[in-house]
Amino acid sequence: MQDAPLQLRDLTRRFGETLAVDGVSLTVPAGQMLGIIGRSGAGKSTLLRMINRLQEPSAGSIHFGDTNVTALRGRALRDWRASCAMIFQQFNLIPRLDVLTNVLVGRLNRRSTLSSLLGLFSAAERAEALAILERFDLLETALMRAGQASGGQQQRVAICRALMQRPRLVLADEPIASLDPRNAQVVMDALRRINREDGLSVLCNLHHLDTARAYCDRILGMRAGRIVFDGPPSALTPDMAREIYGVSEAEFHSAPQGSLAVA
Amino acid sequence: MSADVARYRALMPRAFGPSQAGRALRWLGAAAFVLWLATLLWWFDASPARLWNGLDKLGVILRQMVPPSPGEHWDAILQGLAESVAMAFLGSTLAVLVAFPLGFLGANNVVINALAHFSIRRVFDLGRGMDSLIWALAFVRAVGLGPLAGVLAIAAAEIAVLAKLFAEAIENADARQTEAVTAVGGRRILAIRFGLLPQVFPVMLAQYLYQIESNTRSASILGVVGAGGIGLQIAERIRVRYWDEVAFIILLILATVALIDTLSAWVRRRLIGG
Repeated sequence: MQDAPLQLRDLTRRFGETLAVDGVSLTVPAGQMLGIIGRSGAGKSTLLRMINRLQEPSAGSIHFGDTNVTALRGRALRDWRASCAMIFQQFNLIPRLDVLTNVLVGRLNRRSTLSSLLGLFSAAERAEALAILERFDLLETALMRAGQASGGQQQRVAICRALMQRPRLVLADEPIASLDPRNAQVVMDALRRINREDGLSVLCNLHHLDTARAYCDRILGMRAGRIVFDGPPSALTPDMAREIYGVSEAEFHSAPQGSLAVA
Repeated sequence: MSADVARYRALMPRAFGPSQAGRALRWLGAAAFVLWLATLLWWFDASPARLWNGLDKLGVILRQMVPPSPGEHWDAILQGLAESVAMAFLGSTLAVLVAFPLGFLGANNVVINALAHFSIRRVFDLGRGMDSLIWALAFVRAVGLGPLAGVLAIAAAEIAVLAKLFAEAIENADARQTEAVTAVGGRRILAIRFGLLPQVFPVMLAQYLYQIESNTRSASILGVVGAGGIGLQIAERIRVRYWDEVAFIILLILATVALIDTLSAWVRRRLIGG
């Protein structure tokens, strides 16, 4: 099933005097894996958080198909949030609740508030959550407190929670920035899996060029709130990288000589 | 889907709720709790009729409170109130000064010896066992009637409370920060000064400010037993049933506490930020 495209029109966010996001226009077709790169403070997080409406845009608009996301309020806004799942750098699980309940939290928007407050999830919902956990090799952690799982596990639990939302797209804000390389790879593989197998668009903020190159169909470079690069990984030349980061990629990787240099 | 439910239920039964025995235990626990509540209510003869009659008399008092009136002794009321605030301030400050070192002694990440930690904590427990009102009765005998007895009563009652709260704040502090100071070669007292104190200072300050506010309310009781403050004024007026003046004093105390709260919020913002 082909879902609607996501469109940003002249999206802007000001914090006092600073322009965190400065007139970003962008169309993301359904099913794309989009990597957003740039230095800290380039506006990547703010951009993603505006799409989920965790942060209000100062100007411009967000559209998903025929829906003007920027105009949504109340129930419709919560429905939108359920359909664009957010994945956070620090996982944002509830550490004292077990893994299963953390995943079930993803379903809250589609259930009656009263039965949710009482924690009355149906057997079918529990089975669905367990099936998602099993898909990412997490079944045996289901009854463990989320806080006791490892970082890599926690981020995969967060991905399971996202899937439990039955989302139409996934926003991942630096999903691997607090993970070691091995776990980072497992989490990125999981994100690519939901992109390929479930046909979900994934918008992913990333620190490392290499990760973006390896996993994304399309890369967006941001600098000082503006898009300075938009193209396939192959078009991301060393000059372009210097333009985005303000330093050359070689300097970027300086210490152990040519840990990777430029492909 | 139902096949899935059956499969996962077999695979991981606890994911679908507590076991039979667990469920029974929960119900049993809940029943015992409710029974306990009911027994206590029965013991104190809390019949609906009694409560209803009590409500009725309370209504009479409330009606007599309106409109509140200052009566003829403005000066006595204001002096009592000022005394109460001063007592709370002095008592809390004294308590914090003593509780500060005690808090460190009572924290198991500062005093690592388990026996010492256990004994210090039990001493705190003993101190907390006595309410400020009991202390006030003792100090009135010791230093005579008046606000000084109140100050000492507040300090004595709060030292153990604050020491326990401080000790807990210190125990909950992040060990990585002290580790960093140790790692640069600082001695232990410096690790506490630079790694621990900055973390617990906001908690201590917040507690101190809260104690001033809370003890202003306590101080309004202490007067009843002769330890100075606004309490004496209230007690006198209740005895002669001048409920309108009692209401006035209560409103005045509320306003004072609100004022202290506002001031302490400002101090907190200035010293801690946020």
